[in-house]
Amino acid sequence: MAGLLISRRNLLLGAGALAAAGWPLRMAWAAGAEEAPRGGRLVVAADSEPRTLNPAIVASNGVFFIASKVIEPLAEAMMDGEGGLAPRLAKSWEGSEDGLSITFKLREGVTWHDGEPFTSADVAFSAMEVWKPLQNLGRVVFANLDTVETPDAHTAIFRFSAPTPIQLIRNALPVVTSVLPKHLYEGTDIAANPANKAPVGTGPFKFAEHRPGEYYRLTRNDAYWGEGLPKLDEIIFRVLPDRAAAASALEAGEIQLAAFSQVPLVDLERIASVPGLKVVTEGYEALTYQLVVEINHRNEILADQMVRQAISHTIDRDFVVDTVFLGYAQAATGPVPQNAPQFYNPDVKPYSFDIERANRLLDEAGYPRGEDGKRFSLRLLPAPFFSETRQFGDYLRQALGKVGIDVTLVNNDTPAHLKAVYTDHDFDIAVGSPVFRGDPAISTTILVQSGIPDGVPFSNQGGYANAELDTIIDQAAETIDTEARTALYNDFQRIVVEDLPLINVAEWGFTTVASDTVLNVGNNPRWPVSSWTDTALAS
Amino acid sequence: MHRALTLTRRRIVSSIPVLLIVIVGTFLLLEAAPGDAVDAYLLSLGGGDAGLVAELRQSYGLDQSLLKRLTLYVGALLRFDLGWSVTFDRPVLDLIAERLPNTLWLMGAATALAFSLGSFLGIVAGARPGSLTDRALSTGSLALYAVPSFWLGLVLVLVFAVDLRWFPTAGIETIASGKTGLARVADIAWHLVLPVSALGFIYLALFLRMMRTGMTEAWRQDFVLFARAKGLARRRIVLRHVARNALLPLVTMLGLQAAAMLGGSVVVESVFAIPGFGRLAHEAVSGRDAPLLTGIIIVSAMLVIVVNLLVDIAYAALDPRVGSGEAAS
Amino acid sequence: MNRVAGRLLHSPEGVAGLCLLVLLAAMALAAPLLFPGDPLVIVGRPLTAPFTDPTLPLGTDRLGRDVAAGLMHGAQTSLLVGLATALVALAAGALVGTVAGLAGGLVDEVLMRVVDAFQIVPGFLLALAFVSVTGASLPVIIFAIALGAWTGPARLVRAEVLSIRERDYVAAARVIGMHPAEIALREVLPNALPPVLALTAVIVATAVLVEAALSFLGLGDPNVVTWGSMIAEGRNVLRTAPHLSIVPGLGLVATVLGVYLLGEGLADAMAGREARG
Repeated sequence: MAGLLISRRNLLLGAGALAAAGWPLRMAWAAGAEEAPRGGRLVVAADSEPRTLNPAIVASNGVFFIASKVIEPLAEAMMDGEGGLAPRLAKSWEGSEDGLSITFKLREGVTWHDGEPFTSADVAFSAMEVWKPLQNLGRVVFANLDTVETPDAHTAIFRFSAPTPIQLIRNALPVVTSVLPKHLYEGTDIAANPANKAPVGTGPFKFAEHRPGEYYRLTRNDAYWGEGLPKLDEIIFRVLPDRAAAASALEAGEIQLAAFSQVPLVDLERIASVPGLKVVTEGYEALTYQLVVEINHRNEILADQMVRQAISHTIDRDFVVDTVFLGYAQAATGPVPQNAPQFYNPDVKPYSFDIERANRLLDEAGYPRGEDGKRFSLRLLPAPFFSETRQFGDYLRQALGKVGIDVTLVNNDTPAHLKAVYTDHDFDIAVGSPVFRGDPAISTTILVQSGIPDGVPFSNQGGYANAELDTIIDQAAETIDTEARTALYNDFQRIVVEDLPLINVAEWGFTTVASDTVLNVGNNPRWPVSSWTDTALAS
Repeated sequence: MHRALTLTRRRIVSSIPVLLIVIVGTFLLLEAAPGDAVDAYLLSLGGGDAGLVAELRQSYGLDQSLLKRLTLYVGALLRFDLGWSVTFDRPVLDLIAERLPNTLWLMGAATALAFSLGSFLGIVAGARPGSLTDRALSTGSLALYAVPSFWLGLVLVLVFAVDLRWFPTAGIETIASGKTGLARVADIAWHLVLPVSALGFIYLALFLRMMRTGMTEAWRQDFVLFARAKGLARRRIVLRHVARNALLPLVTMLGLQAAAMLGGSVVVESVFAIPGFGRLAHEAVSGRDAPLLTGIIIVSAMLVIVVNLLVDIAYAALDPRVGSGEAAS
Repeated sequence: MNRVAGRLLHSPEGVAGLCLLVLLAAMALAAPLLFPGDPLVIVGRPLTAPFTDPTLPLGTDRLGRDVAAGLMHGAQTSLLVGLATALVALAAGALVGTVAGLAGGLVDEVLMRVVDAFQIVPGFLLALAFVSVTGASLPVIIFAIALGAWTGPARLVRAEVLSIRERDYVAAARVIGMHPAEIALREVLPNALPPVLALTAVIVATAVLVEAALSFLGLGDPNVVTWGSMIAEGRNVLRTAPHLSIVPGLGLVATVLGVYLLGEGLADAMAGREARG
């Protein structure tokens, strides 16, 4: 099992697993789009420029943010769709009983932006030549994919060499199945193809131009298969690397939308009161990030379960949610977030904020306070990915200081942090921000599984090994029956919470700030990285 | 003219070893850094398995030894090839050619602002050393100097872009406006007003104080005393004799400040989202992009050398006492 | 020396600078007495406004840390960054400058090319790269800023050494058989020092500002509080809680002003001039 987990706003992956069991309904989702006028140019803030715009190779949120409007997946996440999915290039899909094949019926009458017809050959090519060998997530999900048969132009049958849970494939569809045009990629060096920078897809918008350091421009695809869609004539992604810049540009009316919390949380309350601007928290339900404390079990103090439990009791999760996240988050109870009802186990016992208990546990574990009131010292590496991970690092240092654990913060930039934690294991505790991708098999399990080679980012590099957990993870990977598979993950959560290979602190989605004139914002669970066909500007 | 040529030739010859030191130093620094270009990329990738990581390292040539990469790089450099940027997946030369003009505009305008306004205010202050005007200007400019440029930039944006809406909040020109020629120049100039102010006001103090000090000194010199004795009008003495003499060291200062301003543009370009050299350098560092960072440093070093050369030539032309030797080192 | 001090006390610049710096130093020294313990500790409700809670006179920041404690302890670290940087830069610069000046020939040539190399690379870029790759801790930050600051003193010292070298008392020392290092230490350096000291003001002020800019880019030391990191953090709430960046900003302004004014007064005093006006 290889790795994937992740992190950074922008850059990440979010997958969608939206169980049929349903999202907490926060608002009545109107059937269809708000009545929206056609036309107009939407200017959006982008905080970075991905080096490729090919989501079939790099399935990350930074790439999707721009490329998902140009290149479409087989299915997209949807609040009230069947199985949490809405058909895109595939109209329907069905798995066989034995878990060895899945049949996709594809949409007819779809053309690429260059006028060529879209067929099952494109899907077969993308799956076998791109997703399986090249894509960061596809390498895992499609590891056992043998062949893709194309009995006709609009049917693709995926055949696997080992049973593959349909639940996993379904949950991964929005993220791992961006389809590329075979006629542009076949016979070329796929990773170096010019279309990676100027993508050609079937989506509602065509790629027009990229001015590095300034903006990306997408224009309306008049031949889009969706009737009367898209609504907008043009989307501009304006590059604004500094976070304060997005808020200023919104207030000055230079841009109309900033997603992924580009407007800092501290500024939200004020900006919400600016006439003409709205704050939208919907649209991130399938893009949940988790705030975790990663632990190096090679440190013999931390190898003691009681010490880890004491640390967990030291953290005031409500304070973290209210202060670090200003309420735009939820306290975590375990490794699966609460807004993944398909898998979440509500029966795990949360760790209360209990300093006395923490002190007692540390005493019992054999680490009494010394003369100076200190029990032992730890080096804490907060991930530099978000201001929230850093601030939580500041908080954790203070919190642990109260129970006599002396903490030194180590501030690294991104490459140095990844190297220190995931390759060199040069840390005691670290603050991380993995993303939940809709299915534990492609996000959570890698955080606790043993035997992962050094250097795999966002994986268990703390030297933790638990045979019982490893067995559950392996079993779940080949359990076809959805209920049995879910039950295994329930056990998984229970054991993780008790033994604490890592400590889950909070779960958060992002916020979007938009001008009141932008319609249909946040109306699907992966909204910022979806295709925006129905997004419109009020005149 | 001959003197300028000699000076130029001498400067070019002596800068070759200097550039070599810079190249090797940059490479060694990034080599010593924890995490390489692949580590930097993994975050935006969101993770990958061990095989993917190894493949990436190989495709970027990071599996080769430092010496091998360094020789390859210097070899390519001799063919005027600055190499390939891993972070942007594009030739370094293209990136630099694209970003350098923006930074040159920014720096040029900021220098002009700091120099002209600084020396003007310096003359005002130095005209009556010790006067209230003098003290107010000297202290005020110092206070401005003490404000971090990012903070000054943010405040300027809030006041003049968000509240008053006189200027745009960020960027180098209006997006996809299709403007050309003079209209485009005017558009860029309009976008540059705030960033140039943020950068220029900081250095204003240096020129102001230098001018003022120079003037204070000039007042004591014989020819000024003589002019005063002759009963020339104070205004005339100030402009004709005192200020003119005090201007020379400012020219030298111009050369010294070139490197500092280039550094200052890193922060200002981040605040104003200007696709310039400084921001590129920051991106190169956080991407552990050795060819890009080295390219940037080489080009900025050459820029500094050229500016200093120009300053020396100007100085030699202005002040006949300076020979063809090292003028301002 | 007394005459220098006397002149200094007669120059308004020198006196103003001295007062400011004495005040700041007092703040720095009093910090552990008035606000014992870690200034980063969370003591109150986040974003308490200033002058609303008598125990927290300047309010709290985003995490609920005492701004007044941060300001006082920040004086300590910010002054430390400035002074330590100047010390490192001066020591390195004086060493290289003296060696180059005394040795001459090839050694001089090589050392001066190295000086050139450091001088043409923008100092902030150098500090940024160095801190990014070495990790942001206070000693590293100080060293990184000094990397871009030592060339000025090196050039100055070398120039002074060259001009002094041939003077009578140095020549005399050589004749009586003093070791070159001894000559450097006893005769040359003390004479070269005054103009270098004037440069110190610039280095100290720049160091404090560069530290702030590094914090802005996320490269500060999170274990200590500096004015730079307070401003960098406060900028996100510039509209809602402007005091969070203005209060430490005033500290910064006072430091830079103080250092500059004192430097100016000192330079005048040592040059043997009465300040005018």
